[in-house]
Amino acid sequence: MLEGLVSQESFMDMSVLERLKWVQQQQQQLQQVVSQSSNNSPGLFQILQFHGSNNDELLQSTFSHVQMLGSGFGPNYNMGFGSQHEAMDGCISRTSSCHMESVDAMGFMLKNNEENRVIALKNKRKQEVKTSEEEKAEKKIKVEIETESSMKGKSNMSITEASSDTSKETSKGASENQKLDYIHVRARRGQATDRHSLAERARREKISKKMKYLQDIVPGCNKVTGKAGMLDEIINYVQCLQRQVEFLSMKLAVLNPELEINMEDVSAKQFQAYFTNLPVVGASKQSIMVDVPLFPLDQQGSLDLSAINPNQTTSIEAPSASWEAQSQNLYNTSSFGFQY
Amino acid sequence: MERQIINKKKRVFSLEPNKNPSAVFTRKYTRHLVPALKKLNMNKNSSQTNQQTVKHEVDMALALSAQEFAWSRFLLQKLSSSKNPTTTTSSSSNRIRILERSGKEGGDEDGEIEKKLKELQKLLPGGEEMSVEEMLSEIGNYIKCLELQTIALKSIVQETT
Repeated sequence: MLEGLVSQESFMDMSVLERLKWVQQQQQQLQQVVSQSSNNSPGLFQILQFHGSNNDELLQSTFSHVQMLGSGFGPNYNMGFGSQHEAMDGCISRTSSCHMESVDAMGFMLKNNEENRVIALKNKRKQEVKTSEEEKAEKKIKVEIETESSMKGKSNMSITEASSDTSKETSKGASENQKLDYIHVRARRGQATDRHSLAERARREKISKKMKYLQDIVPGCNKVTGKAGMLDEIINYVQCLQRQVEFLSMKLAVLNPELEINMEDVSAKQFQAYFTNLPVVGASKQSIMVDVPLFPLDQQGSLDLSAINPNQTTSIEAPSASWEAQSQNLYNTSSFGFQY
Repeated sequence: MERQIINKKKRVFSLEPNKNPSAVFTRKYTRHLVPALKKLNMNKNSSQTNQQTVKHEVDMALALSAQEFAWSRFLLQKLSSSKNPTTTTSSSSNRIRILERSGKEGGDEDGEIEKKLKELQKLLPGGEEMSVEEMLSEIGNYIKCLELQTIALKSIVQETT
């Protein structure tokens, strides 16, 4: 008992967002239980109500109860949402042991009343019902956070950060959404919180994150604002690169007969020139820098890689080492990362 | 890989060269391409058109050096099925189309973006079979690989002139 209390308090100390995430994990486990709990809902609900005031006991009771339910929970349960949110299906039908932490007791309670709405979710026809409930839930969540018994809020926190108190009937519709996929979407106050718009918002955030990454890669994207302009820039850049490759391969085809490439020699000199933009020892290869005109880049005339690494330069010494060593030397000056 | 801030006198070596993806890619790329070109050189008759086969080799080297990406798998498929890969044929026409479209601003904003995304999908090998989100991630690393490829090609060309 005491431990339960202590853990509860420490839980309170966590930031709201951390709680959210933690709760989500719990939620997944909870959800399995929820389905089962619907059968036993009256009893459980009573239990929860009975212990409503006393969190500690509540937790204990729900915990034990849940464990009982958990054992009965089997793989045959499948919400079968038929929704496009695979995460939802996954978590609903997950059959991991429902080791329930005490914190989610209230969320548990909430879900009890969700059974009907869950079915509604399935059909996606009764979203009005859900939204109203969600709003209630939202309000309650806020209150919950501020109060000590913030348990209630947790299950819904994942859905929305909006204010809330958790009501006993919160539409888990939103929670059953892909939030359980650890995609945190914040719905601001007053924004629609129905399933579609939340999913849409999550999707849009993903896409904008990727666009940001692309913006870093493609030079000159910073000046353009808006998706369309950026996409234009990206398209142009890709086309430029492809044309350049084509041009170079044509050149190579012409030169091919005279190809006398020694792997040792394909070297440092050229690569260095591109990476560091410094004069290359022993060869007047600086002309390379302005050679290929196809890029709308800065006046260095090379790919904008040297700009990626403003801090690093390599000294140009007589390339005595093999190509491998030289190339390593060069490549670590570039800050490429294949990030997603 | 550790990066150190160097002054101009010191040389930097990566402690784990195999982890730097750009180095790995470029190394693989040249390793594929150069011997292939040499082989071409030796095998071909002077009457054969160089251009296409060289292009083929170039694309093949690209696809083989970046096998962890979806687009490279598509590219490989395309290459193995046909001897004449055409990754850049419609580039000029695309460009014209883009210019036209950006001329009439304010039209259908979302539709514009959709069209542009489609254009982008066409540029990426295999892009049309991907979802938009996936395509956007793949485009990022495709661009990086293209950049590295151009560097490698430039240096090879320079080496021979």
